[in-house]
Amino acid sequence: MVHQIVRPSGVERETLWVGLAAGVILCAAVVTVTLRAAVPEMVALAAHQVDSRSGLTPAEQGLYADLLVAAQDIAAAPAVSSVSDLAAEGLPPFVRDASWRARGAHEWSGWSGEHGEAFYLGQPGDPALAGTLLLRIAGGEGVVWLKPGVVRPPAHPDADALAAAGWKQVVFSFNAGVTR
Amino acid sequence: MKRREFLVLSVAALIVARPVRAAGRLRIGVTLHPYYSFVSNIVGDHADVEPLIPAGFNPHAYEPRPEDIRRIGQLDVVVLNGIGHDDFAGRMIAASARPDVTVIEANAEVPLLAALGSMARNGGGGTVVNPHTFLSITGAVQQVYTVARELGRLDPAHAAAYSANARAYARRLRQMRADALGKLSGVGAARLRVATIHGAYDYLLREFGLEVAAVVEPSHGIEPSPAQLARTIDALRGLDVQVVFSELHFPSAYIDTIRRETGIRLYAFSHISYGDFSADVFEREMGHNLDTLVQAILENGA
Repeated sequence: MVHQIVRPSGVERETLWVGLAAGVILCAAVVTVTLRAAVPEMVALAAHQVDSRSGLTPAEQGLYADLLVAAQDIAAAPAVSSVSDLAAEGLPPFVRDASWRARGAHEWSGWSGEHGEAFYLGQPGDPALAGTLLLRIAGGEGVVWLKPGVVRPPAHPDADALAAAGWKQVVFSFNAGVTR
Repeated sequence: MKRREFLVLSVAALIVARPVRAAGRLRIGVTLHPYYSFVSNIVGDHADVEPLIPAGFNPHAYEPRPEDIRRIGQLDVVVLNGIGHDDFAGRMIAASARPDVTVIEANAEVPLLAALGSMARNGGGGTVVNPHTFLSITGAVQQVYTVARELGRLDPAHAAAYSANARAYARRLRQMRADALGKLSGVGAARLRVATIHGAYDYLLREFGLEVAAVVEPSHGIEPSPAQLARTIDALRGLDVQVVFSELHFPSAYIDTIRRETGIRLYAFSHISYGDFSADVFEREMGHNLDTLVQAILENGA
């Protein structure tokens, strides 16, 4: 008896082509996803800066938000306001209320700078909750600096002097589109 | 349809879709109830404020409808939360007759907090932000100032009025907070251990020096599974949580289970996202939230 094995037309070659096609599609997908991957909106911090979202205690986060709003009210006023004026207006974080106690019981003092700036220094009664905060208002814009513990700022608290003395400028990033 | 008729109808449709401004009055679109209150108080009688979504729709589950998208064609500017609570608005604007409509990002100057709860559990790593900045006094005031300034740039004739109105509104909001904190003047520093059903109240609690220890819901309006609920109850016991804040408009049987199993007291906040849009809805419902928070501190943390 004669046995003859008849191979199907295109055998193995068909499997080969299907495998190759799948490989090409897979490679194309990998290349496309790699090239088109969205880069997260991350802003690099300078050495003298700290991010308000990740680098502050809960009490410091609340104080920082209040100081940014207060800076706008202070800048809009016709004259530099004293700490007692701000407290009398009920402007947080200068008013001594239950929130003031819960967020570190800061003693606030204020003074005018040589170049028309306004400074407000808050030294904590409870430094475990929050560090010392310095609000500098110049040109209608408020900038907040932070240093742990109960400390005094340099005699001339400009950005360079504060950074050199170990203070951190608090910054925030706006992540519009994080979820859309 | 003949070509000429088609052309006439197309041109007519374009004319209808053009923005309409009644005698120089700005038409301002908003997405959420608090923003309706903010913008209404800023502009007073000088501009018109229009919600993009009708009253009664849950903004957490809203899907844009053609009639809502059509209204954007009539607007001059849209004020957005922009950090995750009105994601639908971007799609609506893109599909509208005015995809280039001016957008004001109300949160552009708010220091944002990282999201707790489901978003953080899903690997946010601190990059996903909590979008509920409108559920606090400081967050509200900052947004009011930002929106007033941007509206003043678009409408210089009324910029001074917008600025003055914004400061008057901010004073009222601050007074609400001062009144609430005044009720706590006789008690020591609040040291409540707090959990929330929905991860919406971090900004408000932060203003009182409180921190959220745990968030119960896997996602807003989504009830936890029995296994998740059991883990949550264990976590609440482990964290020695004293108070859980739920939501007025999300009564759920599982909240009673938490109360029964843990003995923890529950209080209900308003998310300020339901009912009719009105200029005073934010003050009304935030007043309720502040009263609720004061009550919780006095009954549990004093």
